[in-house]
Amino acid sequence: MITVDRVSKTRSRTRILHDVTFEARPGRVTGFLGPNGAGKTSTLRILLGLDRPESGAALICGRPYRKLDRPLTTIGALLDGSGAHRARTARAHLRWVAASNGLPDSRADEVLEIVGLTGDARKRAGRFSLGMSRRLGLATALLGDPEVLVLDEPVNGLDPVGIRWMREFLRNSAAQGRTVLLSSHLMSELAEIADDVIVIDKGRIVARGSLAEVTGDHRTLEDAFFALTATEAVRPW
Amino acid sequence: MVSRVRAELRKLLGLPTAWVGLVLGTLTAPAIVLLNAPYTRRAIAAGTLTDTSDLGLRDLGVGLIGPMVLGVIAVSSEYTSTSQHAPGARQLTATLTAVPDRLRLLVAKTAALVLVVAAQAAVAATATLGLTQVLHGDHVPAPAPARVAGAILYWTLTALLAYAITLITRNGIVPLTLLVINSTVVSVSYLLTKITDLASYLPDIVGAQMFIRDADFPVEIAPLTAGLVMTAWVAVLLAIGAVLFQRRDA
Ligand SMILES: Nc1ncnc2c1ncn2[C@@H]1O[C@H](COP(=O)(O)OP(=O)(O)OP(=O)(O)O)[C@@H](O)[C@H]1O
Ligand SMILES: [Mg+2]
Repeated sequence: MITVDRVSKTRSRTRILHDVTFEARPGRVTGFLGPNGAGKTSTLRILLGLDRPESGAALICGRPYRKLDRPLTTIGALLDGSGAHRARTARAHLRWVAASNGLPDSRADEVLEIVGLTGDARKRAGRFSLGMSRRLGLATALLGDPEVLVLDEPVNGLDPVGIRWMREFLRNSAAQGRTVLLSSHLMSELAEIADDVIVIDKGRIVARGSLAEVTGDHRTLEDAFFALTATEAVRPW
Repeated sequence: MVSRVRAELRKLLGLPTAWVGLVLGTLTAPAIVLLNAPYTRRAIAAGTLTDTSDLGLRDLGVGLIGPMVLGVIAVSSEYTSTSQHAPGARQLTATLTAVPDRLRLLVAKTAALVLVVAAQAAVAATATLGLTQVLHGDHVPAPAPARVAGAILYWTLTALLAYAITLITRNGIVPLTLLVINSTVVSVSYLLTKITDLASYLPDIVGAQMFIRDADFPVEIAPLTAGLVMTAWVAVLLAIGAVLFQRRDA
């Protein structure tokens, strides 16, 4: 369960988040949708305790991230990049992360297997392709077998096989009762996997509800999105 | 706590740059003793060495590059970009999602650094002083344990100083360059002592008085006082670094 309650944030004197409020519930995939620069990453970083909100609170299972003990057993996060130092092998990276949360070394190979990187365990992270980095980042998120998953643009950089794999993985995770929150600016992608949708634009939540509720009378989520964010299509000359 | 320190030890010792610091720092001083042996013998014979009890301890100084590298990269490795695909992505994200309590994280990181550097200093001091005994044993008294302890403490505090500065700058290149230049090419702190006696209390200058007796220190400071002054420097810089780390967005 994720609760974001009236979170605001200012950066370089501009307000980038205005009273952002939403929930992501267990057993459901919640899509966090918004155009570039809307504030998706900023919100997720606050949720993960990386950045501080100016006001408001973000809670995971009722507690702020910074108060979680052995957080990886509660929540797994995938942000930009893999989080692995270039000079480290995938396995070495996963092992130190596991050790920090009291998890056994054997978890490293287990999660590498889940994301299909077993053959690259001894490769340095600096040599990873974009898609491989995403997989390594996901492997890190899965180390503690967490009940909550937070992913920022998880399909970015993945090939079609990877995208389908990710979609099924997230659907299965939700089916097992996990809370899955993922951001995206790809509406068709989200429409395929999300149960619930939150739409953010210019730092404000402009819609939230089930996929059907947010789509409303519009033909597709995409149409609804353009109506909600009032983004005008650039007219070709 | 133990698991966090273990993780930080693995992180540090898993970096190739850390091994550059470990190897350079451990081997340079004994190598210098070996290379200087003929010259030192002549100096002893000619009686130009005023205090031979300083001999091996003085040579230890060149190894300080080791603790400096280790102290800097323990922090800077968190801030270097992890890949060309995501320029903003850094190891710090993985670190803070794994250990979100920043004070606990810093305690574990500091402990790991102290363990590694103290072990390195003990090995380097044993090798350097042992070699000095083997080569010039007839003329050089066995080193006093308190002075050896002072040297190990100096190495550890130097690493912590580099670490604290990098915590403030969040970038390793500037502090490492300045620290290494200051300890090898031109010692700015030493030049400052020519201008003002106050410079004798700069951390690198005052710290050396913990274990080196005879040098042209403009102000004589007792070893214990010297240790306390250097510790105070480190404590203040660490406190500033910790407060900034706590407050800043990752
Ligand atoms: N370090 C920063 N300093 C100043 N402004 C920032 C900073 N980081 C982000 N912003 C601003 O905050 C706003 C939200 O950015 P954010 O990265 O959260 O958007 P996003 O929804 O994740 O976009 P994208 O789809 O491109 O990833 C943008 O207007 C951005 O310019
Ligand atoms: Mg983003």
